[in-house]
Amino acid sequence: MSQQDDFSNDDPLPPPPLDLSKWRTLPGKLIGIGGLITVVGFLFSWQHDGMVNFGFSWLVAFMFFLSLGLGALFLVLAHHLFDAGWSVATRRLCEHMASLLFPWLAMLFIPIALLAPRIYSWMGPALQKNPDHALHAKFPLFTTSGFYIVAVACFAVWWLLTNRLKFWSLKQDETGSAECTQKMRLHSYWGIWLFAFTLTFGAIMWMKAVQYQWFSTMYGVQYFAGSVWLTLATIYVITMFLDRQRVLSDVLHEHQFYFLGSLLFAFTVFYAYVSFSQYFIIWNANMPEETFWYVVREKGTWFYVGLVIVFGHFFMPFLALLRIDVKSNFALMIPIAAWAWLMHFVDMTFNILPAQFKDGFPFAWVWLPLGIMAFMGGLLAQVFIKKFASASPYPKKDPRLIEAMGLYHPVATQISGGELDQADTRHGAPVQPKGGH
Amino acid sequence: MSANPKPYGLLAEFDNTADVLHAAEKVRTAGFRNWDVYMPFPIHGMDKAMGLKNSKVGWFSFVGGAIGYTTGMLMIWWMNAVDYKLMIGGKPMFSPNAAFPPSYELTILFGSFGAILGMLFLNRLPRLNHPLLKHKRFGLASHDKFYVVIETADPKYSESETRKLLEAAGSKRIEMVED
Repeated sequence: MSQQDDFSNDDPLPPPPLDLSKWRTLPGKLIGIGGLITVVGFLFSWQHDGMVNFGFSWLVAFMFFLSLGLGALFLVLAHHLFDAGWSVATRRLCEHMASLLFPWLAMLFIPIALLAPRIYSWMGPALQKNPDHALHAKFPLFTTSGFYIVAVACFAVWWLLTNRLKFWSLKQDETGSAECTQKMRLHSYWGIWLFAFTLTFGAIMWMKAVQYQWFSTMYGVQYFAGSVWLTLATIYVITMFLDRQRVLSDVLHEHQFYFLGSLLFAFTVFYAYVSFSQYFIIWNANMPEETFWYVVREKGTWFYVGLVIVFGHFFMPFLALLRIDVKSNFALMIPIAAWAWLMHFVDMTFNILPAQFKDGFPFAWVWLPLGIMAFMGGLLAQVFIKKFASASPYPKKDPRLIEAMGLYHPVATQISGGELDQADTRHGAPVQPKGGH
Repeated sequence: MSANPKPYGLLAEFDNTADVLHAAEKVRTAGFRNWDVYMPFPIHGMDKAMGLKNSKVGWFSFVGGAIGYTTGMLMIWWMNAVDYKLMIGGKPMFSPNAAFPPSYELTILFGSFGAILGMLFLNRLPRLNHPLLKHKRFGLASHDKFYVVIETADPKYSESETRKLLEAAGSKRIEMVED
């Protein structure tokens, strides 16, 4: 640290990087164990119910990890559209995570594509030939060809978008040209529109369609809110580890964690608002063709799963994240992020499984979606780590990088977005990066 | 007004906040129970100086809120699922989730009732008159004077000793207030 700083003498020396060599094999182990459970579950389900339970379990796991890909894609898009500075430091992570959408999540979609006629009752030949009104009203979207066209279109958009955004981002690492930033902004402009459409189509066609009679305009937004919530919790923990390992320390300062925590808090409230609105409006509108979806979810143990979501997905994280200091307190944020993973899993089961398990939460089957999640999680983590190692850990020539580092504040006032930096305890001294040398 | 008025308490006047704060500390240390301090504006640290504990109003609000929530839930359940069953929109007769918002509103309403009634009860309000209000100078308690009043009903009260204590605390004007 070349800058003389009266206060830096008090700072304790940063702890040395953790030895993570033991954890290197974890993704491989998850693939092995999860893969075994998946195969056993597949055979078991084949014998018992013609692969239907397997299809539903796979769908739960797939929608869970699709959330991470889409949530990360949204963070990249939002970063470019807002011309943000602070999030440059975490953008490369999000780009890698978003690029899991294609081809990896597309490949993980294949079992759903194959099992679709078993998972989605409306795809059966009887209903396709003699559709009831609820299905007929959704033609031509809810036809076999409609289903596959939507799937191909969604993954095509996600491929194009994540590929272009990552291409220009990596190109900027070499050239440092402003043109790359402008290109990424251009792709984000059309991308955010198609992102909204494809995410909504995905949520409707793959998740809501397990009960095809239902309709709700909020559904895509709810899945979006839960997805970004999960992604923020995940990005927070990954960033925290990379900071601890001195990988991102040079480009991070404390406020990034506060900002990520604030966004997590905002999406906690946003999810609650959206899902409560959906419930409240549908329940009180008294239309049987809508209310049935919630009636099913009050039967048996599903009622308590609903309460777990009310309290666990909203109240607990809301109250936990309320205080300003919690958002940058790692000892509290790690359990909160882990809790977010659990709650998003419960949310996915609550949305998908009542169609198949009408009596209540399928405790006897819960090992199967969890096993598939271990498999997918291990696989995607493996790919993510490989992607991360293949490029600079952050966009090293991004023109906004110096802002992310907290070293440059052209107009650090309350209204310019530099609000916290200016209130730094160092009294106008340039904020130092946390990093090592 | 009775012809033979009973003494209500000793009223000691103070000119500034520091004096009355220290006087309150002295009176508290002496172990009085039936006494109070009157001032034109809140003085920081007075609660501590007087040895006042947290208000008990919160408990009244809590009980009120609990009664409100229970009332709301029971009312909606009884009306929809017992007294006048109507099948609407294919929904069950009673769902605690759907009954939550109105029950919550009753929680707030009864909670605030509990708070205001509890406050009145703890302050022994409403009452029409108070002996201090007859006192000519007491009106200055809403202007620029500070008063400590020790009631004769206090077990530790003794006319001469209490007067001495208040004098020692720095009051230049001590008067007996009659009921």
